Amino acid sequence: MTRGLLIALWGWLLVWSVLSRRLDLLLRGVFHGLVGVSGVALIVVGIAVMTRNIKQREPVPWPWLAGGLMAILVLLLPPNPSFSDLAATRPQGLPEPLELAFVLPPEQRTLTEWVRLLRSQPDPDLVDGNPVNISGFVLKLGESPAQIARLTVRCCLADATPAGLPVAWPKDMEPKVNQWLAIEGRMRVESRDGQRVAVVVPETIQPIERPLRPLEP
Amino acid sequence: MNRLATTWALFQGLLLEALPFLLLGIAIAGLARWLVPQRLWIDRLPRHPVLAPIIGALMGFALPACECGNVPVARRLLANGAPLGTAFGFLFAAPVLNPIVLASTWAAFPNQPWLLICRPLGAFLIAIMLSALLVQLPEAQVLESALLAERRMNQPLSNLSLLKRGTGVIGEPLPETTTAKTERLGFKQVLDQSSREFLDLLALLLLGCLIAALVQTWLPRSWLLQVGNAPTLSILALMLLAIVVSVCSSVDAFLALGFAAQVTPGALLAFLLLGPVVDLKLAGLFTVLFRPKAIAMTAIAASFGVLLIGQWVNLLQL
Repeated sequence: MTRGLLIALWGWLLVWSVLSRRLDLLLRGVFHGLVGVSGVALIVVGIAVMTRNIKQREPVPWPWLAGGLMAILVLLLPPNPSFSDLAATRPQGLPEPLELAFVLPPEQRTLTEWVRLLRSQPDPDLVDGNPVNISGFVLKLGESPAQIARLTVRCCLADATPAGLPVAWPKDMEPKVNQWLAIEGRMRVESRDGQRVAVVVPETIQPIERPLRPLEP
Repeated sequence: MNRLATTWALFQGLLLEALPFLLLGIAIAGLARWLVPQRLWIDRLPRHPVLAPIIGALMGFALPACECGNVPVARRLLANGAPLGTAFGFLFAAPVLNPIVLASTWAAFPNQPWLLICRPLGAFLIAIMLSALLVQLPEAQVLESALLAERRMNQPLSNLSLLKRGTGVIGEPLPETTTAKTERLGFKQVLDQSSREFLDLLALLLLGCLIAALVQTWLPRSWLLQVGNAPTLSILALMLLAIVVSVCSSVDAFLALGFAAQVTPGALLAFLLLGPVVDLKLAGLFTVLFRPKAIAMTAIAASFGVLLIGQWVNLLQL
């Protein structure tokens, strides 16, 4: 009986993670279906085990109980990672783009597409004056100026990699680390540390809620 | 506080990603038990010291799962009396030698054909080497005690004495699950065994995910990648990264893509070879198969083998 209950509990955890959109914060979209199907399968197995052993009392090993307790904790305590902390422990190494974002109008490019474009095409003058319409969180690494950034994942949060763009912040604004912002503006080429780089010059900056799908592929 | 919240989120990410693959492995092991009478196919597996691990390694093509899913299948093979070489060959090679992992490696590195050849070949060599090493030891020094007892129950009396089995006049009665070896197990029995196995392995997976999340949050990954261009150091750094990150072999190629440009080719290959055999998440799961000494031997030998292969690749490519 207890064994079936524990298995069903784990199944419910997986199903709930999909229904509550918690997975949007943890895993890449391609895995969500697999998690949901696994959850349903575990619930079915759990019910089958319960109905077959309904009157049977069996000893429950403590690791099973500890696992059940952990499942309850995971259900009760949703993930709330600090994107800046995650980014701080990772190198900024995006994969080569599968296709260049030049085909998209500049104002439709996401922050990650901008970063990929600028890394694949290092001449910043090509994008000078382009309109920018992006959203991301404020990332500050060490002593370097704050950037606007996103995390990209290939699998789960464990392999999240930051992609950031430099921003010419207005003088009267002190960007708060981890705050999510929507920025409209233009690209401008500036010289920073002796290098010519494309910098986002904001025309409007709007604080926003963290998006439902904050991770990008 | 922020960092603890990040650790908790990383733990959930690793767990929810790995759990379906663990379930898949247990489902495949359970189905095999239910559909195929155990002795019929296990008796047909070769016992030749060279052929056994080769056949085991190639069995991965029938199981498209990562390393988490492989552990329950390998355990079932060992418990049912399969030759050690076959089970070890399967355990160590199948996380790479399977269609999904090869396809994901090709998708991540379509312009690096050498990697598509060297990864499966390297995984194959490592598996053969580890199998050859572990079969030199007596079973009692390699296999975890409960698994060893179950395995001995399933061996023919011509191979093993009653004393070693621990059954008969002086021992314990045979458990219900290990009787009729040439008959199909009932669905109820398979459900019973598989559900217990799931909860046992899940507890160990939780421990592995927790350790991996803690290490990942508190150890800056950039430290490991700073040595990217030094041939030997870059291999060692990426081996350490593979152990720490603990992502499944079915997706690790996409992760490797993120730093492929910053490290030597040998280091890249080392990351893709070592992770499926040794990582923090697996450390817990391996305790249902091996004694601590055998786990340590596996980790050391695999690391040494991967380092050699990585050096060899760097010599040819650099």
